[in-house]
Amino acid sequence: MRLSLTPVLLVLFEIARLNAQTLGEAERLWKAHEYQSAVKVFDALIAANPKNADYRVRYGQFFFERYDPEEAVKLFSEAIEIDPKNARAHLGLATVLAEQFSGKANESADKALELDPKLHEAHALKARIALEDDDPKKAGEEADAALSVDPADVQAIAVHTAIDLLKDHDSTWTAKLRNRAKGFETVAHFFIINRRYEDGIAYYRKAIAADPELWTAHSELGVNLMRLGQSDEAYKELELAYNKDHSSNAATRNSLKLLDTYKEFKTFKTPTTILVLHSKEAEALRPYFEAEMKRAMAVYEKKYQFKLNRPIQVEVYPNHEDFAVRTMGLPGLGALGVTFNDVVAMDSPSGRKPGEFHWASTLWHELSHVYILTLTNDRVPRWFTEGLAVHEETATTPDWGDRITPDIIAAIRDKKLLPVSEIDRGFVHPKFPAQVIVSYFEAGQMCDYIAEHFGESKLLDMAKEFAKNRPTVDVIREQLKMEPEAFDKAFLAEVEKHTEVTVKNFKEWTAGLGDLNKLARAATPNNDELIAKGRALEFFYPDYVEAGNPYVIVAKACLAKEDKACALDEYAKYSKQSGRDADAIKKYAELLKGQGRLKEAEAALDRLNFVNPLDQDLHEKLGTLYLASNDAALAVREFGALVALHPIDVAGSHYNLAKAYKAQGLGDKAREEALTALEAAPDFRPAQKLLLELSGEGPKN
Amino acid sequence: MGCCLRFALFTLASALAAGPAFATTYFVTVAGLGGEPDYETRFALLATDTDKILRGVGGTDRVIETLKGAEATKAKMTAVLGKIASDAKAQDVFILMMIGHGTFDGAEYKFNLPGPDISGAELAAALNRIPATRQLVVDMTSASGGVTAALKKDGRTVITATKNGTEKNATLFARYWVEALRDPAADSDKNEVVSALEAFRYAQTKTAAFFTEQKRIATEHAQLEDTQRAAAFPLVRYGNAALVVKDPAKQALVAKKEDIENKIDALKYQKDLMAPDDYKRQIGALLLELARTQEQIEK
Repeated sequence: MRLSLTPVLLVLFEIARLNAQTLGEAERLWKAHEYQSAVKVFDALIAANPKNADYRVRYGQFFFERYDPEEAVKLFSEAIEIDPKNARAHLGLATVLAEQFSGKANESADKALELDPKLHEAHALKARIALEDDDPKKAGEEADAALSVDPADVQAIAVHTAIDLLKDHDSTWTAKLRNRAKGFETVAHFFIINRRYEDGIAYYRKAIAADPELWTAHSELGVNLMRLGQSDEAYKELELAYNKDHSSNAATRNSLKLLDTYKEFKTFKTPTTILVLHSKEAEALRPYFEAEMKRAMAVYEKKYQFKLNRPIQVEVYPNHEDFAVRTMGLPGLGALGVTFNDVVAMDSPSGRKPGEFHWASTLWHELSHVYILTLTNDRVPRWFTEGLAVHEETATTPDWGDRITPDIIAAIRDKKLLPVSEIDRGFVHPKFPAQVIVSYFEAGQMCDYIAEHFGESKLLDMAKEFAKNRPTVDVIREQLKMEPEAFDKAFLAEVEKHTEVTVKNFKEWTAGLGDLNKLARAATPNNDELIAKGRALEFFYPDYVEAGNPYVIVAKACLAKEDKACALDEYAKYSKQSGRDADAIKKYAELLKGQGRLKEAEAALDRLNFVNPLDQDLHEKLGTLYLASNDAALAVREFGALVALHPIDVAGSHYNLAKAYKAQGLGDKAREEALTALEAAPDFRPAQKLLLELSGEGPKN
Repeated sequence: MGCCLRFALFTLASALAAGPAFATTYFVTVAGLGGEPDYETRFALLATDTDKILRGVGGTDRVIETLKGAEATKAKMTAVLGKIASDAKAQDVFILMMIGHGTFDGAEYKFNLPGPDISGAELAAALNRIPATRQLVVDMTSASGGVTAALKKDGRTVITATKNGTEKNATLFARYWVEALRDPAADSDKNEVVSALEAFRYAQTKTAAFFTEQKRIATEHAQLEDTQRAAAFPLVRYGNAALVVKDPAKQALVAKKEDIENKIDALKYQKDLMAPDDYKRQIGALLLELARTQEQIEK
């Protein structure tokens, strides 16, 4: 039987026409900002053509543009499943991954190029990733590859422009950008990720001038103005982006919400500092933060040999997600603090679980950035400024800072530390989950190594060279008089030597720690066994002071045996290793106090102020100790903080503050506090006696 | 605290200090079924601590009954309550503290005990037989908010660890309630007596702080409807503050002291309406006068 072809062809033509119309309709709606309608059409299109990978790719691009990367990844992945040879699907996936700074973005871009070597956008994307990794050579090559296919590729031209501008060179590429807003926006991005916020802001302004409807640039401009503390203009830009871009950008929304909460913060100014604290904790935190800011600034002025010509602003956020939004525009940031020129934003001690966060280390870390970024005019590689900041956390106070975590031990064991010439990649495009943390540690150790072998002043010499915008390898060669490879070899040998015992026994330690904790939880634990096994684990991994650490278990076992000397010894080791559990340190202080070692008890407790100055019990204990040792000013600080935290025992806390003021010789203030105590509890006898005494009617001590 | 409440407390403290001829306070603490070793130990320990603290106060004006572990059955609990029902008089005070797990099925609350549980209605029936006109029930179990309706009665104050029967997680409130009984900081008015209101506020604040600090969603919200009544239940007292001044020569000073205290309370009520300096001057003068009077009483 022979069929007439005409009806079949008609049907096929009709399907094709409908599909074309439908895709066209989706595109039209997209362009007209009718996004909900576009979604419906795309959905219908995909339902009618479940095997069409191209439609899914286009739909994925739509979601990526509309700030829904998860949906975009899903669609690109489905497209790849349908058609593994769809180069644009791989490119789409690479683009989303690159936006998320995923180490896997390059792999997807490579796959796209393998399938379609003329896909210039993939080369441009690889150029962008390389420059983010501070590899301008590779970035230039990839940009050239893109331009060989499409000489007008704006992203490739923007990468070339950024390479020159980041080196402070005039760029012939700038003219080739012509007046293309997307190109300016990309240049701005590179300034921002290199912490050159003013330059970045200037380029976002150029992008907006070229295309006033580039809402992503308005949003980024707003976010970066906010970073530099220019809240009014930031609000205007963000509001514009929010209203015009159909509210879809989470960073814009979050930043606007955060700006709306700024009225809940209090600002304290001195000639050299601006401290911004949330009202609910401002009075309690202020003395500790201001004192540490001043102390750190005095140390850095001496060390870096210059004074800042403007005050440093420190903003402290009790809600971690507010800090994250303040930093990135988005929640979910793992960092504790971030520096934008001379503005530091950081978590408050109340933003984390007690004991989890050493706020003073973070403050010193960030303030180091302010000095180094100023000294180098922001021309400093990430590894050096981060490494130096980590180095500073413990340089002045050795029992601060973070210790080597099990993730870092595993990275050393698995030879995952990066050479100095490539270490920046570990910060920007991590290839394994802990690589950012590992890179911080490694950079910090590199600076420790340089300070130890070449002198602390060598770090300043290197910073001054980086200020000339010179690459890491050149600075290493000139300042350390060795090839980068030789530096890596010597440095790694030292790291391996220091961690040899831990790395070698890591498996045994991991299993042993679990067993030790199980033994400790037994109804009637064998204390001798706990002490012996715990001490063996301490030897394997002395830096481990986190949950379930052997020091505290051994100390408790010692106490169960009524061996206070043994417990003191364990708590002392724990404290020296930067152990931060409040209960353990308080027990340590109690034991010291019991032995009459009041100053040591004070020092042990005072360390906790740098971890959790919102601990009421800590202030009460420490204030009482200071009062007993006639350190009235510190007693006033402690009881003042306690009063500011609005404790349950209002009368008791004001009475203690009154006693501290009296000891300080401030009779009027003491009387005022005694009256406040009595207002809360009029029959409070000790406060009554103190009031009479302060009024000249009672016995005088 | 208002002026009338202060007077009530003062009278109550005097009455309690005067001995069993006036009133007896019956304390019953029950630690229910833990279900697993950790909870068994924890609940029993809290009950033991409570028992120890209450007995540590001393005096013959209190009867203390504590049930825990395998002993804390429905039969034993109802037997203890039955005995109190036959012994207690109208002027006595009855305080029940319940530690452990509770359940609420939308209609009925049950306190989990070894063997059969006791329901809210059964508990109410047992308590209704106790003639003491002032009763305090502190139900610190999970879902304890579900018992409030069943226990509602004139003269009975109910504290629960959760706001309703649907807060089903194991609670922390009991831990801080017991802590309040031994922490002088809980005595916020410094009269050397920790009242039920003070213990409630202490435990409520500490429980809320725990969830905030640990960055966890609060799974319990303690409830107390009648704060004034709760203030009139002294749980523990220490020191000599509650002792009655027996020297007739000093009765005038005691009357003067009460008068000043009432003036202080009245002034505090006016605080928001007064100029700050004026308030400060007046309260300062009254507090100083009160201190002088107390000094004279103690001479």
